[in-house]
Amino acid sequence: MNKEALLSIAERDFILDALREDVRLDGRAADQLRPLTLSFEEEHGHVKVQLGKTSLIVRISAEVAQPHDDRPFDGIFNIAMELTAMGSPAWDNGRQGDLETYVTNVLDRVIRHSNALDTESLCILKGVSCWTIRADVHITDYDGNLIDASCIGVMAGLQHFRRPDAVVKDGQVIVYGLDERVPVPLNITHKPLSVSFHTFDEGKLVVLDATRKEEQASEADVVIGMNNAGDVCYLSKFSGSPVDAMVFVTKTTVALDKVKEINGIIDKALQADLAKRAKGGLAEESRAANDR
Amino acid sequence: MSSPLILLPGDEVPSEYLPSKSSAPLRLGHGLRLLSQPHPTPGSTPSNHTLTATQPGILSTDNKRNAVSILSSSNRRYIPTPNDLVLAQVHHSSADYFHCMITPQSPHALLGQLSFEGATKKTRPMLKQGDLVYARVLSIGLGAGAEAELACVNPATGKAEPGGLGHLTGGMVFDISTGMASRLMKASSSSSDQQDGVAGLVVLDELGKKLEKAGGFEIAVGRNGKVWVDCSNSEHDAVKSTVAIGRCLTMIDEHNLNPTDQRKLVTRILREMKIESS
Repeated sequence: MNKEALLSIAERDFILDALREDVRLDGRAADQLRPLTLSFEEEHGHVKVQLGKTSLIVRISAEVAQPHDDRPFDGIFNIAMELTAMGSPAWDNGRQGDLETYVTNVLDRVIRHSNALDTESLCILKGVSCWTIRADVHITDYDGNLIDASCIGVMAGLQHFRRPDAVVKDGQVIVYGLDERVPVPLNITHKPLSVSFHTFDEGKLVVLDATRKEEQASEADVVIGMNNAGDVCYLSKFSGSPVDAMVFVTKTTVALDKVKEINGIIDKALQADLAKRAKGGLAEESRAANDR
Repeated sequence: MSSPLILLPGDEVPSEYLPSKSSAPLRLGHGLRLLSQPHPTPGSTPSNHTLTATQPGILSTDNKRNAVSILSSSNRRYIPTPNDLVLAQVHHSSADYFHCMITPQSPHALLGQLSFEGATKKTRPMLKQGDLVYARVLSIGLGAGAEAELACVNPATGKAEPGGLGHLTGGMVFDISTGMASRLMKASSSSSDQQDGVAGLVVLDELGKKLEKAGGFEIAVGRNGKVWVDCSNSEHDAVKSTVAIGRCLTMIDEHNLNPTDQRKLVTRILREMKIESS
């Protein structure tokens, strides 16, 4: 059993009928996000994201490795995501489903290929050593809109993460421990986020941040990836019924608002965490050591 | 019975807590099992049972129906028990059976094509994939992966007992926890004077009062954590009322609201959804 259980006919019809009257099951407006909360754990780059009932954990980690031969100046950045049975009983461990391939692909395109993380800054010594940054996404509960939730998680994680400081001395790479030198934040060039829409009723009804039931009842999905400046870095509409071109135009404006809203939430959470850490004394302690 | 009795699995039910009427046989409900019956000695009464709890929870008795059951807290997974009412979804049909899903990702349950009220070979219902049925668990197989059997009719009388079993059309299904489902069942079966008791659920009465003018609603609670709600009697607000009821139930389930807060929530959600209430 590795298939999502199908919706019953009654549920499918009802969701559509309700949307025609502009009513959603949880009482949201069509362009409204579910409540989003972010929390950071003790280690840098350890983020918990809760979007409605969808929840996931992102861990960012760094290690020194050899750069690829064809790109000696670039560091390496990977996003790893695996849908395990922990997230939903419909998923099997170790078996890749369509959803996993799809979400991984979107994350890759929105975050990695748009160069959100400046990989050149990860180079330590040309052709010899560079940082490998790895983002692991673990889904702990699934209620739709995996793409946006994991995108939020990875971006928040990247902004929260601090890598150890490394210097080159006489051709030798020295990596300082987290307690020896203040760890360095990653170089983020821009903050792209994805916003997914699902369409119903032959593309006439478009809904943001669909729950699992809404996703199952929908006909097609449209994913828009953009940053705060309004640069669209990803746009997809893979399968399902056709969608009017105007939907893309109008929904891009909605997506921009949402990206700004979500980035605002991420910034607020990051600042709150920073303030907590400053009080906690961990950063203060290391700063004092540096002054001496 | 002054204070509720909490039992753990393996605990014996003290006989003084059982309904005292001995005319009708005692009905065992959810979470209780007759593990061993002591040999009746000539002097003792035949109602000398040894009942053991199989689930943790509060013992609840119903003097009118001479029934006793355990009101357990929420489980993450529903395990079918005979005589439970469940909301099942038809997955596919074969020559003699509809194969139904009680919970997703678990073995299908069998529902005989003829186990509907008044069904004969010629008049049996034609259910297709995705149709919903409200059914009673007839039996559960033994061992892992065994198939449970469902029925929409009482095999002894040939009637859909209790009323409402069978194919459900229209409406909407909402997911709730199994604990909430059993509380709802309890609240709807008990008389109104004890509504603030163990179950502490006033939401259905409250919704019923408020939506009476709009045409009322139908509800079917499945022990497998699903509630079917239908408001097709009300002409214009059918969708809105259904969503409002679903939201009330899921919110109360999630936040474990007490009766006062439940009343407040119902008023607030009805106002939010702009439904005229009386």
